[in-house]
Amino acid sequence: MHVYRYMVGVALLAVSIGSAACDESLSNITGPTPNLVPTFTSIQNEIFSNGDSSGRVACTQCHNAIGRLFNGLDLSPQVSYANLVGVASRGKVGAIRVIAGDPENSYLIHKLEGRPGIVGVRMPLVGPPYLTDGQILVIKRWIELGAPND
Amino acid sequence: MKWSRLFLAVTLIAVMWPQVAGAQTKPAPAPAPAPEDDPDRDPNRNQPDFTIVNLPTTLRVPRFKSAFRVTHRFGRPLGAGDFGDLANDFFGLDSGAQIGLEYRFGLIRGGQVGIHRTSNKTIELFGQYNVLEERKNGVIGLDAFYSIDGTNNFKDSYTPALGIVVSRELGGYGAIYVEPMWVNNSNPLPSELTDDNDTFTLGIGGRLRIRPTVYLVGEFIPRVGFEPGVDYGSFGIEKRAGGHVFQLNFSNGFGTTMGQVARGGTGSEDWYLGFNISRKFF
Repeated sequence: MHVYRYMVGVALLAVSIGSAACDESLSNITGPTPNLVPTFTSIQNEIFSNGDSSGRVACTQCHNAIGRLFNGLDLSPQVSYANLVGVASRGKVGAIRVIAGDPENSYLIHKLEGRPGIVGVRMPLVGPPYLTDGQILVIKRWIELGAPND
Repeated sequence: MKWSRLFLAVTLIAVMWPQVAGAQTKPAPAPAPAPEDDPDRDPNRNQPDFTIVNLPTTLRVPRFKSAFRVTHRFGRPLGAGDFGDLANDFFGLDSGAQIGLEYRFGLIRGGQVGIHRTSNKTIELFGQYNVLEERKNGVIGLDAFYSIDGTNNFKDSYTPALGIVVSRELGGYGAIYVEPMWVNNSNPLPSELTDDNDTFTLGIGGRLRIRPTVYLVGEFIPRVGFEPGVDYGSFGIEKRAGGHVFQLNFSNGFGTTMGQVARGGTGSEDWYLGFNISRKFF
């Protein structure tokens, strides 16, 4: 009888350890940008600086040093972080582009999701295609984690 | 998906292995009793069914016997509108329901496996092994429990659960239960996007026999870890009639699998009518 219980215990332990592999893969939800992770470097590379296989254009196609008149938002790699986190929007009075730790009230998310109340249109300007729900979830998670310059 | 299938296979082997190991270590195993002598076939007045409302009990399925259960959780919140509105909707029965169909089989003495499918296309596979039998030790019953549920007909998100079921029978008046469970990947999002990907639940439940074949049942499942919504709770009344148990219940959510229960109820103000009907094939 003790052998039975021992074997059951060992087997259940093995199953429990193995079960950890059931976690969803992030790449399953980020669609056309499978390498996207919730870090600023990744978001810059995968979203701001480059388009993807869905046909979405890079943000920097408009929001660059030349086109910074688009509400003064230059998303070029060297300056984009400084232009986003804790910076007031020039398009909507009182809105902050990225509020560290608060994705729901960050104006960047409002513009990417096309929420009611935004000034202008949903981004990207030439969309659709827009960012997928999974891509936006990753950006929200980066903001939720404090929007670090990582 | 391949990993999950592998784990299921390991679980089934784990449940069956004790019989094999026992056969190897005992030179002269006692002959199996005749079916009519199997005490697992006797009615248990304390535990007439294999579940309380959603949580498992330690009732054993006799070897090579089986049982079936159907669950309904109607979608109309009982608190919406006034009593006239509620009566007009026949207390929720007019609305749609999340329906579950379940079949369990006694694979070995004290061990059972089963499958439960809900109408939101979730399939749960489960196994349970009775480690301690209260009928023999006179103190508690204890089962090891493992389940894994998969959404989209077991093709998308997988949620394994591992835990124990501890029961104490009340001398013919029912039983009480404590059921700690670890539910992995209860959050369907990838772990990179969440603070918690697991839920630890502590199911507490009971069954009180108030008439020879009528019971009150209740369960409450507080949680830590990933815990959206509210802690799941259910209560109800049930009637045993031969091999059937008819249960009318009220829950603050629609979940019937371990993964669904770990995700909690919809809200503290929302309670829903439901029922379970089970049938033992022995």
